[in-house]
Amino acid sequence: MVYDALFDTWHLFDRAMKKLLRTPILIFLSIFQALLFLFLFTQIFSKFGSLPGFPAGGYLQFATAGILMFPAITASAQSGNSMVDDINSGYLSKMLVTPVSRPAILLGRLLSDAVMTVIPTGIILVLAYVLGATFATGVPGILLIFITLAFFEVAWSGIGLAAGLATKSQETVTGLGVLIMVPLMFMSTALVPLEFLPDWIQTVSNFNPISYTTNAVRALMSTGFDWNTIIAAYAVLALLTAVTMGATLYQFRKVVK
Amino acid sequence: MSDIIKVENLVEVYANGTRAVDGISFSVREGEFFGFLGPNGAGKSTTIKILTTLLKKTSGSAIVADYDIDKDARAIRKMIGFQSQETILDADLTGRENLTLQGHFQRMRGDVLKKRVDELLKLVELSEVADKRVSFYSGGMKKRLDLASALVHKPRLLFLDEPTTGLDPQSRIGMWEHLEELNREEGTTIFLTTQQMEEADKLCHQLAIVDYGHIVVRGSPTELKRQIGGDTIILSLANGDSAAALAERSKQIVSSIQGISKVINIENGLAVYAKNASYLIPDIVRVFDENKIHLASVNFSSPSLDDVFLQYTGRRIRPEELSKKASSSYDWKRVT
Repeated sequence: MVYDALFDTWHLFDRAMKKLLRTPILIFLSIFQALLFLFLFTQIFSKFGSLPGFPAGGYLQFATAGILMFPAITASAQSGNSMVDDINSGYLSKMLVTPVSRPAILLGRLLSDAVMTVIPTGIILVLAYVLGATFATGVPGILLIFITLAFFEVAWSGIGLAAGLATKSQETVTGLGVLIMVPLMFMSTALVPLEFLPDWIQTVSNFNPISYTTNAVRALMSTGFDWNTIIAAYAVLALLTAVTMGATLYQFRKVVK
Repeated sequence: MSDIIKVENLVEVYANGTRAVDGISFSVREGEFFGFLGPNGAGKSTTIKILTTLLKKTSGSAIVADYDIDKDARAIRKMIGFQSQETILDADLTGRENLTLQGHFQRMRGDVLKKRVDELLKLVELSEVADKRVSFYSGGMKKRLDLASALVHKPRLLFLDEPTTGLDPQSRIGMWEHLEELNREEGTTIFLTTQQMEEADKLCHQLAIVDYGHIVVRGSPTELKRQIGGDTIILSLANGDSAAALAERSKQIVSSIQGISKVINIENGLAVYAKNASYLIPDIVRVFDENKIHLASVNFSSPSLDDVFLQYTGRRIRPEELSKKASSSYDWKRVT
């Protein structure tokens, strides 16, 4: 039974990857957006780095962690949209007439999206390095950065997936994604140090999974293996996953027998 | 041979209250080519979706290959194949990849799967384009691939929802040949729904004519046509103020002619049944003339399934009717 689920997950993962790789526009958009944000933010806020009280290392070093959140967030809408696609095209019902493992339908998709974040993440890291960023934890730290962001992406995907299953509308999934992303990105430590934020936004930030994830990635880049920060991030992400996946499974059961 | 499908008092009520299937009962023997013939909205697609475990029934019982549709859905899915009314394929994948993936869904793998895919591609004559993406296929090619994808695991029972609707005549005949061969050579039981009487007539050993969620009549095409008891003459009466009274009077007048076995009222006219009816046409025209009733047209046909439908429901099956927005996915409204 478990073996069957793994077998099915692998093949559905394979299908999702093929579809993504054969729609290059999605990859280009994700990469382009990431580079654009990296460029824009570091240029616009370049002088911030020299403000008193700003963490050492300059703005690029600081903000790279935050900018890495963008591809993870936009990729997570992909899960929801692909699911809506499969529902509306009827491909989901084609699958449901077969004995394919139901959990595999979700897992295969989540896995492919987690893997797809590697590309834009890698490109941003390379570009940041070229522009002068440093990595305090070396290769192992970079690996952990990838893993942390993939974890975030999976947790965040639950939002899009649950919305997609509930509304069967790509407009809703994308719209919701943007609606949530913009305020949460700004009300976090992604682009601005905590102390620089107004008090009430600091409070929001302290409840924001984006802040925790960014802090962990930032620590890996600039400070070292700050286990307190990293563990806090993983705890928050585990909680987020439980919530979003719970919603997703609930909606999934309503759609599937 | 035993019954591979046993349905009793099946009812499906949608969330908005529509009784799509209103208490139907029928059975299908293994190896049979069975058909549901009827117009749009008759409940054909709904019935198929219930039998393929895609839709939960409201009440009644449905047994497929001795498995209960609610309790043993998983076992049923292993032995059925389903081709829906709309062609559903993954357009980003090639024909071969689509079939292989479908095989994986059925837990097939390795060389066995590979050989089977090659075999199917040859069967539906798509070997040459197997490695092109499905987005480049024509409508007919997609339909053939869709059929192949339902056959990957050699299902004992194949469900087809209007398999040739929308196909050009040549593709339709080709499809009919494939299906007949499948039923004959492999012994695959085929359950088909259609609006085309020629299809039901040609392919089905047994059929059920359905209308508004009910089975109107059941039997083999030959039996059903024989029931008509002869040819059919359709008389269209000119529309007038006293249409109903006119129709009743016309019916009485016609019934008095010798040799007429049956007369029924239909929309805008009468359907008259008689043996060798063509010889009675002059008498009919004369009698209407004598009674000064204006006949708009006279139409004659040898027995067809459409006539059977007409006899039982007073209407014709109209294949050219605009289909209600058929979503390729099944109806998501459910009654808990």
